[in-house]
Amino acid sequence: MYARVAAAPDGSFHFHRGPGYAAARLGYDETELAALPLEVTSSFAGVANPHAIGAIPAGAVVVDIGCGAGTDLLLAARRVGSTGRAIGVDMTAAMRARAIDGAIRCGLTNVEVRAGDATHLPVDDASVDVVISNGVLNLVPEKERAVAEIARVLKAGGRVQLGDIVIGEVLSDEALRDIDLWTG
Amino acid sequence: MIDVFTSAGFANVVLTHRYDCFEGTTKQSTARRYRVQGVNVSAIRHAM
Repeated sequence: MYARVAAAPDGSFHFHRGPGYAAARLGYDETELAALPLEVTSSFAGVANPHAIGAIPAGAVVVDIGCGAGTDLLLAARRVGSTGRAIGVDMTAAMRARAIDGAIRCGLTNVEVRAGDATHLPVDDASVDVVISNGVLNLVPEKERAVAEIARVLKAGGRVQLGDIVIGEVLSDEALRDIDLWTG
Repeated sequence: MIDVFTSAGFANVVLTHRYDCFEGTTKQSTARRYRVQGVNVSAIRHAM
């Protein structure tokens, strides 16, 4: 599905995409989004706004788990500046290609995009100051393993700034089995 | 999610923001029925 979002973000999906949605519903800064290539922001499909949690400091090493086309990743790269690094990890090749192209078009030389997933982060132990992610962990069946990976790569005192979805009701077995409720 | 981070030894695990990210989508009614929302969560990795 996410390869389709990368290739044709204007298609039919059960979730919002794009910079207008990010600004209007999630509180992203319109000016910051406008400074990124539309090929990046049009494929934005986050569910929250990790940047709203707190400022990512200059010089920090940031990992974006499931970076997609790179909206959150490139915003982080701008914040950490030339003395920091922003590392995006994504399992979808088409998304990685968009993120890499976006970084080049923005002139950001502090961005790396690596193939991987939340349960196998291609990142060294205790090497990261801030882990961000947006709408990814809910898609990972092995959540404990993903969180253990986050703990592994973070430095002591490192921070998680995570956007994701939660369910406010206890689900019946019938609801859990009804795949149409949860898929597009 | 907060429980998973807390169980993994993270500190200061806090839900900081909520968003109605499915409003206006084809899953709006499901999201309302089951109170599905986007959230921000922050956490700090303990010194080991």
